[in-house]
Amino acid sequence: MENLLYIALFSPLVGSLFAALFAMSPKNIITGIVTSALLLISFIASAILFEHVMTVGAVHVTMMDWIMAGDMLIPFGFLVDQISVTMMVVVTLVSTVVHIYSIGYMDHDKSFNRFFSYLSAFVFSMMVLVMSDNFLGLFIGWEGVGVCSWLLIGFWYHKEDVSRDVNPSISPSWAANEAFIMNRIADLGMLIGIFILYWNTGSLQYDVVFAALPNLSDGILVAAAIALFVGAMGKSAQFPLHTWLTDAMEGPTPVSALIHAATMVTAGVFLIIRANPLYAMEAVEWVSYFIASLGTFVAIFAASMALVCRDLKRIIAFSTLSQLGYMFAAAGLGAYWIALFHLAAHAFFKALLFLGAGNVMHAMNDELDIFKMGGLKKVMRWTYLYMGLASLALSGIGIAGVGLAGYFSKDAIIETAFNEQNYILWIILIVTAGMTAFYSFRQVFLTFHGSKRYADTEIHPHDMYKYVLIAMSPLAILAVIAGFFKGWFEEFVTVLLPAYKMSEETHHIAWILGLVVIAFAVGGIVLAYIKYNKGLKRNEELENSLVYRLLSNQYYIPQLYDKIFSKPYAAFSRFSWLTLDQKIVDATVDGIGNMIKTGGDNTRKIQTGNLSDYLRWMARGVVLLVIVAFISHQLSQGAN
Amino acid sequence: MIGLSHYLVLSAILFSIGLVGVLRRKNLLMLFFATEIMLNAANVAFAAISYHYNDLSGQMFAFFVVAVAASEIAVGLGLLVILYKKYGTLDLDEFTVMRG
Amino acid sequence: MENILTVLLFFPLLAGLLGFAVHKDSIRTYGIAVASIEFLLSLWLWISFDMTHAGFQFIENIPLISDFGISYYVGVDGISLFIIIMATLMTLIGIIALNIEKDIKNLIITLLFLEVAMIGVFVSLDAILFYLFWEFSLVPMLYIIGAWGGERRLYAAIKFFLYTFAGSLIMLIGMLYMAYAYHSISGSWSFAITDWYALLLPLEVEKWLFWAFFLGFAIKVPMFPFHTWLPYAHGQAPTVGSVILAAVLLKMGTYGFVRFSLPMFPDASVMYITPVAILAIIMIIYTAMVAYAQEDMKQTIAYSSVSHMGVIIIGTFAMNAEGITGSIFLMLSHGIVSGALFLLVGSIYDRRHTKLMSEFGGLASVMPKYAVIYGIMLMASVGLPLTIGFVGEYLALAGFYKISPVMTLLAGTSIILGAVYMLNLYKRTFFGPVTNDANLKLEDLDGKEMAALVPLVLIVIWLGVYPKPVLVPIDNTVKALTSFMHEKAQTKEAKATILVSKTNREKK
Repeated sequence: MENLLYIALFSPLVGSLFAALFAMSPKNIITGIVTSALLLISFIASAILFEHVMTVGAVHVTMMDWIMAGDMLIPFGFLVDQISVTMMVVVTLVSTVVHIYSIGYMDHDKSFNRFFSYLSAFVFSMMVLVMSDNFLGLFIGWEGVGVCSWLLIGFWYHKEDVSRDVNPSISPSWAANEAFIMNRIADLGMLIGIFILYWNTGSLQYDVVFAALPNLSDGILVAAAIALFVGAMGKSAQFPLHTWLTDAMEGPTPVSALIHAATMVTAGVFLIIRANPLYAMEAVEWVSYFIASLGTFVAIFAASMALVCRDLKRIIAFSTLSQLGYMFAAAGLGAYWIALFHLAAHAFFKALLFLGAGNVMHAMNDELDIFKMGGLKKVMRWTYLYMGLASLALSGIGIAGVGLAGYFSKDAIIETAFNEQNYILWIILIVTAGMTAFYSFRQVFLTFHGSKRYADTEIHPHDMYKYVLIAMSPLAILAVIAGFFKGWFEEFVTVLLPAYKMSEETHHIAWILGLVVIAFAVGGIVLAYIKYNKGLKRNEELENSLVYRLLSNQYYIPQLYDKIFSKPYAAFSRFSWLTLDQKIVDATVDGIGNMIKTGGDNTRKIQTGNLSDYLRWMARGVVLLVIVAFISHQLSQGAN
Repeated sequence: MIGLSHYLVLSAILFSIGLVGVLRRKNLLMLFFATEIMLNAANVAFAAISYHYNDLSGQMFAFFVVAVAASEIAVGLGLLVILYKKYGTLDLDEFTVMRG
Repeated sequence: MENILTVLLFFPLLAGLLGFAVHKDSIRTYGIAVASIEFLLSLWLWISFDMTHAGFQFIENIPLISDFGISYYVGVDGISLFIIIMATLMTLIGIIALNIEKDIKNLIITLLFLEVAMIGVFVSLDAILFYLFWEFSLVPMLYIIGAWGGERRLYAAIKFFLYTFAGSLIMLIGMLYMAYAYHSISGSWSFAITDWYALLLPLEVEKWLFWAFFLGFAIKVPMFPFHTWLPYAHGQAPTVGSVILAAVLLKMGTYGFVRFSLPMFPDASVMYITPVAILAIIMIIYTAMVAYAQEDMKQTIAYSSVSHMGVIIIGTFAMNAEGITGSIFLMLSHGIVSGALFLLVGSIYDRRHTKLMSEFGGLASVMPKYAVIYGIMLMASVGLPLTIGFVGEYLALAGFYKISPVMTLLAGTSIILGAVYMLNLYKRTFFGPVTNDANLKLEDLDGKEMAALVPLVLIVIWLGVYPKPVLVPIDNTVKALTSFMHEKAQTKEAKATILVSKTNREKK
């Protein structure tokens, strides 16, 4: 099994290095094929490991020592258990699909090889993140995915910076830097969390740390829980560190599908699930509750911005943000396995949605504004089907135990909120479900139904290559059927995660709760149908209203950050350099130097060249010395 | 009775005279005289203290000083002659080539 | 070989003197040959170094002025070993990458003399010997900046010289007082550092001596507010000067803290953790901001150097093996990474004769190899795991967490602010469209530059993935150091702060 583990882990790295060899040469289809094949191998290995974990148990290997200093000993150790193997399967499956998809999508890009090198490097980092058996190993992957995300968001680095009105993300390189720096802010929190755990438990291995938790004081537990959650907030783009995720849509669409929907952004949720023994402690109950509340807030907050968004990819990004909120809500409420289940289900349908959006962009010459699309149904039959399915899954459509993936996973989260008797969270989550259905279908209808609003342009849309569409099918199938594995998955994963069971009463009225959710979801879809099916009727008054502008400008938060962080920081930096450093610190140094110089200049006059002057100075000196000697003699006698 | 202190006072007076001479006179030759007076003031003190402590090294030192003074004058006067030949004066205020 | 340190020390000196006889055209080959042999000698030192032994090795002790206890006393331990190897490596790389035609013979001979001084500082176990090499290292550097520098080279060179010289004089007074204190307590004269270690000083004396040494080291590091000579020196120095200055000369200051301050004054060191750490934190945050405001690429890297040195200081004063080992490792990684960054800036300066970021933009399209290597070094500089930069930074901060969580949080902003100025530099220089026509036809890195940079890239990744061969010897020595400090500490507070590691890999 060890070898299989290494194969699963290292084949993406091999693929990345292979593609890197060709990074500076023109497009070579081989790189795409080899990296995809290696990922397929990685997926197969992960699947076999999944079976192994299910039947035999976890696999734990230590490859070699990494950092050893003082009492700190950190190995490269890898752990394949129920949690990590689930992630491994999801990550490698989605990555394989995205890789094959990219061969088609990046067809005309001159940096084709470089793209595959980055993409596989990302998968490797993600595998390190999920497979590591200690917090620092997780941090390697954590930072690794950060860098790959930086590289991939800024993949089209040659684009120019433009103002925020033209492109809310300014430029790919700007968005890349924003993402990296925001993640770094959170990473500091994570590092502090790691320090707290190290100094209080003496180790960073998961098993040792978790075993030592009951002996720790409440304050330390709370501090560690908060610090780690700050780390999770950055990667999973929770408020207030959320702005980078929508800007990250500047990257190529397969990147958005893989990194900014299915895998990397769920790393924060993964961390909370991984550290569930910590978050389940009684002392950190309120931190967990805070996580759930923040998650719920982000769910509705992001959904509200998606309602009016016109950018195809940004709508999906907001919906990702919103669904991450759902996952945190579940994890915060203690339903870790439900969070993990939603994570997996979401990965499938969200990746599918993004890849569908990629098809649309490909067809529409990179046009993103859904107000300029419409009527694509006929020319892009398959994409229409895929995106429709994914949107249905995202909206959680289903009834009486039969439905798409989202129906099982999202409903379970909403049910959990009810079960915890947290009715405020419950209501917010239900309303959000309705909003989710509305904006998802608003996008579907505006894109695929109605009139062809692009008719007066030169664009002649056509569907993607056949093999790409076929490659997307596993995701589509999973988006439909993943939900049916819920019970089986629960059994599998609760070996490790705390079992979360609904109370009797909840169980009793579950069907009513389910109906309420469905009602909201269907309501959202119907509303979208009424408004947008026939085509786009723009309402000037509505679009100029305060609320609309607030939402479409993301509550002016990016502008606010610009005003209160970026600009003052730049101004203060300049002030530090030009005023503090040059006019005060350095001027003091030069001042001392000049003082000595002018002092010498002034005393130079003594040097008249006249011997009798010198003799007079000598005599004065002698007299002075005699006086000093006399006084000090007197003083020392006085002291005695 | 003339004691040690009288000699020392004499020595101090001689030294002061020499010092004032060094500081006030402008002629280099006079400066030499003044230095000689100061040296001899030291010699008086050496001899007197040596006698007082019954230790001959002081008097020996006085002889050394005499010898040093003699050689100094020998060299110094030679320099003065050359200086006079070169500049036509021995006035100190005229020699300011070392001005800073 | 018994006398390997003496050979290591005097070989470049001898070779430098012989260099005067070498013809101008072959001096570069000669320089590379000498520096390579020296580098191989230092590698040999590593191979024959006993990893399980924590104390000094290859000791040579020849009395010079026995009446005053001054002797030719040299030796290496885990702390100095790798700094020596780095010094020889960076000299070699610097000479390989040399791109100056003017007076190249003098330059190479000067570099060889500088190498002697650098190695001398790190092998000396006698304070006077240490001081001699410490001061001697200024002279070649003064010459390098003053003769091959930019427009304001004289101002920069003199400022560099006088500023650091003033600091070292105060350190010299400290050393003399230390020797005097040794004499009055033990009755004999000695300048041997190992003798000084064993000396138990009165607390009051320890405090004063701590600050005397502190000033000397702090100016060299350079710590805020004594850092202003550095941007001028870097700004005006030729590339090779900046490389050596950043990689090795700055490390002399932090090395001094570990070699002198900690073991000689454990109580005072513990007592003054807070003021020193506050200075270091100001240095981290403030210079990171100043680095962000720069318009000149080289100045950004110069200020980033100062910022990173702050983390090294923080780690040194962590008073536990994690932190001190981390800070020594960070000295190595910072040396390699900032050296490489200066080389990279040097290559673009050679092509365009400007270092202003506004002159560039979109270089990634024109010079892909250059952009890749720059990117790797940049990521190492911001402390990405699996590059050399992470290990030291992580350990230093982790160690200091034990002293003060809040100050660690403040010092940890280094990872954020570092990303801010480095990514900003990278974006302005490499990303975006090529706006300046002068950049359109730039040549990518040539063979010579690749030969200098690729080994550094390999080291950056190798020691990031597998730092053990370097960490373990350092760690052994540092563990011995912390337990020695713990033993020696007089106050209860110091005894409680200085942690002795439980795990010990040293064979007794």
